[in-house]
Amino acid sequence: MTFKNSLKTAIKGLRANKSRSALTILGIVIGITSIILIMSLGKGAQELILNQVRGLGAATIIIEPGRESQGPSDFGSLFTDSLKDREVQALSKPSNVSGIEDLTPMVVLSTTVAFENEVDSFMILGASPLVAEIVDVYPEFGQFFTDEQVQQLSAVAIIGSKVKEKLFGPSEALNQNIKIKNKVFKVVGITPKKGQVGMLDVDNSIIVPYTTALKYLSGMNYYHQILVKAKSEQIVPQTVEDIKVTLRELHNITDPKKDDFQVATQEDIAKRVGAVTSVLTIFLSAIAAISLVVGGIGIMNIMLVSVTERTREIGLRKALGATTKNILTQFLLESIILTLLGGIAGIILGISDSFIASLVLTKALGSNWQFTISLQAILLGLGVSAFVGVVFGLYPAQQASKKSPIEALRYE
Amino acid sequence: MFLIEVQNLEKVYNEGETETKALCGISFNVPEGEFVAVMGPSGSGKSTLLHILGFLDRQTKGSYLFDGKELSEYTDNEVAKVRNEKMGFVFQSFNLLARTSVLENVKLPLLYSTTPQSRWNSLAKKAIEQVGLSHRVEHLTSQLSGGEKQRVAIARALINEPKIIFADEPTGNLDSKSGSDVMEIIEKLNNQGHTIILITHETYTAQYAQRILTLRDGEIESDQRVEKRRKGKDDFLK
Repeated sequence: MTFKNSLKTAIKGLRANKSRSALTILGIVIGITSIILIMSLGKGAQELILNQVRGLGAATIIIEPGRESQGPSDFGSLFTDSLKDREVQALSKPSNVSGIEDLTPMVVLSTTVAFENEVDSFMILGASPLVAEIVDVYPEFGQFFTDEQVQQLSAVAIIGSKVKEKLFGPSEALNQNIKIKNKVFKVVGITPKKGQVGMLDVDNSIIVPYTTALKYLSGMNYYHQILVKAKSEQIVPQTVEDIKVTLRELHNITDPKKDDFQVATQEDIAKRVGAVTSVLTIFLSAIAAISLVVGGIGIMNIMLVSVTERTREIGLRKALGATTKNILTQFLLESIILTLLGGIAGIILGISDSFIASLVLTKALGSNWQFTISLQAILLGLGVSAFVGVVFGLYPAQQASKKSPIEALRYE
Repeated sequence: MFLIEVQNLEKVYNEGETETKALCGISFNVPEGEFVAVMGPSGSGKSTLLHILGFLDRQTKGSYLFDGKELSEYTDNEVAKVRNEKMGFVFQSFNLLARTSVLENVKLPLLYSTTPQSRWNSLAKKAIEQVGLSHRVEHLTSQLSGGEKQRVAIARALINEPKIIFADEPTGNLDSKSGSDVMEIIEKLNNQGHTIILITHETYTAQYAQRILTLRDGEIESDQRVEKRRKGKDDFLK
């Protein structure tokens, strides 16, 4: 018996019970749809986050206080006051770290801001003018504050486009006075609509000199971050090493495991984000795979019913010359065709769902969510559905092929 | 040379602890081209005998040479091949595929044969013509009368030009008119050279054969030539 004829016979067998066949594959359709959707969304999320992270530029290095948590009961990560003026000055010396072109301490806090009767809560970033270069955001109106103003602890503020909208509405904001945590600041610049850069929502932030932020707003003597701009992308690894050595020396640390600071490059963060989203995608896909197992059992169930129903047909085919292998092939092909059809339907549904989701997410997030479908996901979908067909179709097919022709013919 | 040579054939069914002897050592030969009717009350072992002769089952003891080769020497795949190429089966309950056309039903054995596919349709149409159903080729089997169904089954049985046709109570589900039609076709096939083994419990039908083998309790009770063979267009209907 040729393969083509086995295939034809199997298709005829399925056609005889169209609606049952269609219902049987629903489980597979749902399973494959979920896997395709999850893989596509995972990839989209990863790319979105990576684009934002990379938004800071490859030459940017981030220094944060504390160390990586070693476990749930490890309080080392709570030492958050290890970056102060002393550290900033040490890092600024070219004799310590030669690769630094510029750096800015960062004070990050969230507090209430008021203009006349309008009050709202915004993110306040204390920084030096360097932050404009790193985040690539320059005032559309007015000017960025200068290094001198930083030295003088000037009460000046650059506000994001949404801050302007919320506090001032259509009226003029430049040179107006706003109250940040009871301290009066003069608005000297307004940035254009920018969206997310790195982890920063620039539009909803107010940038002030870090000296002013430290003294009047945070009331602490330490920084939340130090952003470093290396002279070039190539010397980033060397610069990271120099920073670590300098800070360890300053803090008398000999064991790198006891570092009370962390140094991250854009590449590190990208890798970390990639790892997290990959794990998440795999995890969610594994959950979706459970529905494939359930779907497979459904197929096995229906195939067993079908084998019993068609006992006479099997007996007849054997009497007319079908071998055990012919019967096995016929029934195995029936389940593989079922699952493959389910797989194809699932892939089509999954792709269209992902496309719709990308449109919705682009709207909802206000940033460009890319619609990505990998060939890998499609091949995986097809492979998995065929595999489910083989695994769950084998037992019923064996039951069919083992039937003795006389008993099968006698069956009523 | 005999087409069928049976020596001390025994068949024992084991169901749990009880042993049932369905055939207790029977011997007979059938030359090629003969028309043999096997008769006997139910439980006499005639169905068991047909199953073994038709390669649908294997004997417990004794020997069965088909076409000069012992059944127990055939592998499972060879058994399937012999069933396909050298044997044709006609059952009491027709066993046609439902929701399938006459043509497709008759072509079914070709699916498992080595006959090139280009010849399938012409072979099937020829077989359908032989049983006088050319006007029904594209009909679904469910639209046919009982007699027509059995004729489709006969066409299916002879499509591979088998040496022998096994008919298991072929008229059992038919009225007398359709029954005689079917028997006439079987007789015609015998005249064309096909060996026929017919199982029946009607003496009437058995008299179409040249020889009647009567079984009782798994043994041959009698083995007789038919003196006055019933011929087609006989006084069957009177």
